[in-house]
Order: sequence, then C-alpha cells, then structure tokens
Amino acid sequence: MGILTLLMNFIFVLIIYCFIFSIIRLIYMDIKSMNYYYRAIGNGNFPYLKLINQRELLNYKVEEAYLLSKDSTIGRQDKNTIVIKDPYISGQHAQIIIKEGTYYIKDLGSKNGTYVNDKLLRSGYEWKLTNGDKIRMGQVEFLFVDVLAKR
Amino acid sequence: MFEIFTYRKPINYVIMLNLLAYLIMFCNLKPYNVETLAFGIGIIVMICITYFIILKSNFGDEYLFLIVCMLISLGIIMIYRLDNNTGIKQAIWTAIGIVLFFVTCMIFRLIKIWDSLAVCYMVTSVFLYLITLLLGRNINGATNWIVIGGQSFQPLEISKILYILFLACYFKNPDQLFFRSSKYDEAKRIYLNKFILVLFTFINIFFLMLQKEWGSILLFFLVYIIVLYVFGKDRIFFLCNILMTIPVALFGYHFVYHIRVRIDTWLNPWKDIAGKGYQITQSLFAIYSGGYFGTGLGLGRPDMVPAVNTDFIFSAICEEMGILTGVAVILLYMLLAYRGLKVVMKVKSKFNQVLGLGITTMLGLQTFIIIGGVIKLIPLTGITLPYISYGGSSLISSFIILGILQAISKEDYIDSDGEIDEGE
Repeated sequence: MGILTLLMNFIFVLIIYCFIFSIIRLIYMDIKSMNYYYRAIGNGNFPYLKLINQRELLNYKVEEAYLLSKDSTIGRQDKNTIVIKDPYISGQHAQIIIKEGTYYIKDLGSKNGTYVNDKLLRSGYEWKLTNGDKIRMGQVEFLFVDVLAKR
Repeated sequence: MFEIFTYRKPINYVIMLNLLAYLIMFCNLKPYNVETLAFGIGIIVMICITYFIILKSNFGDEYLFLIVCMLISLGIIMIYRLDNNTGIKQAIWTAIGIVLFFVTCMIFRLIKIWDSLAVCYMVTSVFLYLITLLLGRNINGATNWIVIGGQSFQPLEISKILYILFLACYFKNPDQLFFRSSKYDEAKRIYLNKFILVLFTFINIFFLMLQKEWGSILLFFLVYIIVLYVFGKDRIFFLCNILMTIPVALFGYHFVYHIRVRIDTWLNPWKDIAGKGYQITQSLFAIYSGGYFGTGLGLGRPDMVPAVNTDFIFSAICEEMGILTGVAVILLYMLLAYRGLKVVMKVKSKFNQVLGLGITTMLGLQTFIIIGGVIKLIPLTGITLPYISYGGSSLISSFIILGILQAISKEDYIDSDGEIDEGE
C-alpha cells in the first residue's frame, strides 16, 4: 500500500512537470522564431514571407518569417526549401520563382490549392507577387513583404 | 482523430492530472464516496468546454488560460480534499468566473473608451471603500467584508482592478491626465497631476490601513512603484517615492501593533509557538512533513494549519502533493507572468501596455507575497493566492483580470494583421 501511494504521488508530480515542459517547449519555439524573424529581416533587401496566423494555434513548427533569397519550394516533404508539416499542405505544394528581380508564385498541382488574396491560383499559372499579397495554403497564411518596394 | 491525444497538447496533462487526483482521493478517503469521481468528471468537462471555446473562437493567447487551468485544477483538488462542500462552492465560483472571463473579454474589446474614464475609476473606488467602512463586517481579523443576501464578498478585490485601470489612464500620457484645458502653465500642470497620482495612491493605502489589509497595501504600493519605474519619465520623482516609504515603514513598525507582531513572528516564530507564531510554525511543519512527493492526497493532516483553504493553501499543497508540486506551482506562476509580459511587449497602444504590465505585476507580486509569507521568506500578510485559494470575490476578480489580459492579447493580433510596414 505504501509503495502504491508513493508511485501514485510520483506519477502525479510527473504529470505536472510534463505539463510545464510542454509549455516551456512552446516558449522555446516562441523565442527561437522571434530571433529568426529579426535575423531574416535584418539581412538586407530580400523579400520575405511573414506568418499571419497565430502560431500557437498550429500544432507543427512554422517560423514567423521565411526569407526568399533564391527560388524556393513550399511543401510537406523534407526536400523542399520551406518545409511546413501541415496535413492540408501537399508534399510539393507551391513554388516561388525569381525572374529578373520579380517574384512569381506557382501552384505545383496541390490537392487543396493555393490562394492569393483569397483567390484560388490555377495550377501552373505564375502569379506576380507584389508587396502585401496574402498567400494561404492549408491552414497557414503568409504575407508577402517586399522590402525594396516600400522604399 | 488520434491527434487529439498527442503528448504535445498541454490540455491533455490537465485532464490526466484531474483524473488521477480524484482517483487517488477516491481510494484514500474513507468511506468510499462515488461523488468524488462524479465531481472530478464534472470539473474535467468544464475545463474541456472552456478550452474548446477559446480555441475555436480565436480568442488570442490560449496559453494564459491553459496555465490558469492547471492552477485552478490544483486549487479545486486541494479544497475539495479539505472539505467537500467548500470544494463544490469553489467549483461553482470557478464556473461563474469563467463566464465573467468571457464577458470581460468581449466588453473590453467592444467598448473603446476605457482610457477616458479615470475620474469614474477614482470615484467608484473611493465609494467602495466608504461602503466597506460603513457596512463592513469583521471576518478573520480584517474588517473588509460586505454581506449581501447571505453572500459575503470583498470590495477590495474590485478596487484592485480599478486602481490598475486608473494607472493605465494616467500613464497613457504621463503627467497629462488632468487640467488639460486649464490656464495653468506646463510645469504647474505636471506638478498638480503628480500630486493627484500620489494622493490617489495614498487614499487607497489609507483606507486599506483602516481595514488592516497589510498584504494589499504592500501589493498596491509595489505595483505603483513598478509601473512608475517602467513608464514614468521623471527619475527624481521616482526616487522621492522610494525614499518616502522609509519613514512610513519605520513609523508603521514602531507605532502600529499589528505590523510589529507580524515582523516579530517572522524573525522568530518559535518564541511564542502556541500563540502568535502558531500559524507560521504549523505551516512550516506541514511543508516539512510532505517531503519530496508528499504524503498522498487524503493521507496528510493539513487541517492542523489555520486558514488552510485560503491563505495557507500553499502549505497544504506542499504537504499532500510534495514540495516538488510546490515548486511546480511557483514555476506555473512564473510562466503566467512570462506570457503576460510577452503580451505587453507586442501590444502597440500605450494604455493597454500599462494595463497589461499592471495586471501581470499584480498577479506575480500577489503570489510572491503570500507564498513568501507562508514559507517564512518575508513577513506573513493575509492575502489570497490567485486562482488557487478559496474565495469567491478573489477568484472572480482574478478571472476578470485574466479576461482583460486576454482581450489585450487578442488586440495585439489584430494589430499585426493589418500591418505591413514592420522592420524598417
């Protein structure tokens, strides 16, 4: 009986600390992404994708900002440049192409589609991105911020 | 479907903890009482529904409420173990508190004139103090209870919120709140404004002194000092405020009997162990007898400590759930303060910044004052442990405060939505 009580108490304490650690893990992600965000912005003249969603509500890792310094692909598979483990995002979802300093977004035949400013992007069509465009795929929504366009 | 049961969702730990705690209590408390399990399931359902609403209706920062959920759960478990009826009452107060939490959240966001009601806050606050003075009943040594229809409550808890709101109004434009349209020149106006700030703070402290609420005096004053330090522009004024406390504190120690007793029992509670030092020594015995993992829910004797379900609930938690749980409780409050400060950091409007900072420091300091008192780190002053202690008015005011913080956190998300020109 005594051992059983001790074991129960032990589990009880363990659960509380698990809870605290799960919260601390989120805080860690919070601070880490904040650092990444400032680094990305501080890096100069490249445009970046800024997350609009409240990141705490998403159950997977998403950065606060993604720097677009070269052609990038977005999707769930690890070989993509921007990996987002959202179940509603396809393995290879969309691509961002740079042609002579202009940015284009192209849907790579995703299952749930890519929306720019709430309009569905036709598969294969290259949309020219301008500062302030909202890009939505799966559960996440990004803002396209072009640093040069603002100056 | 199975994603609900992932180890990454903190809410699952809250549910597991509740299940385990009520199961342990069911086994340990003789005679066996099925009501315990039913009560536990009721609490879990309540927490789940609230969490679901917050998650689905996009209420802003969800972690504030998660942390509070854990604290509330621990509190209800402990109070239910000490006395079943009080536990049920506490659960009902929690339900009312949660409703008020949502209501505050809505109202605070719908009405935008909170920053222009400074005079209202002052008048209401003084009015509440006067009512307490006239109609107050003496319960447990402090004359600050009002009984209406058999239900007692402390107006002091509302004054706390009003004081923070007043500070937020004042520091929105530091030293420019009053006499804006008067003929006085700039320097004189600032001087008069500062005078009103100090005056209102001291009116609060004076009335609390009449009620013998030493813990709350400390709380009000520390919140005032911290807000002044963070948002005040005038260094010399701040230093004057600090220096002014020294003679007041010395006067209090030498001439007010209650304060001297508190400090003497803090320095050496063993001298009068059966009388004045009884509370604090019993609390220390209780904490010691728990050990690392506690005696087990229902197997200790926390009822030996006086006022165990309000002021001394922390020592009861330490005794039955172990000192490790006690440390966990302190960590939870630290995380709560962290979330609060993070909300404040992101907020754009000055009024909301001061409000958020005031609320966060108030919650943090209240915890520090009472836990410090219970473990004999600082002199003991009777004040409730937010979200854990038994007490309707304290619980409700804590939930209103949380509602305001939640509303502010939501506002911060709205702000960042429509904003592109960041990072210049």
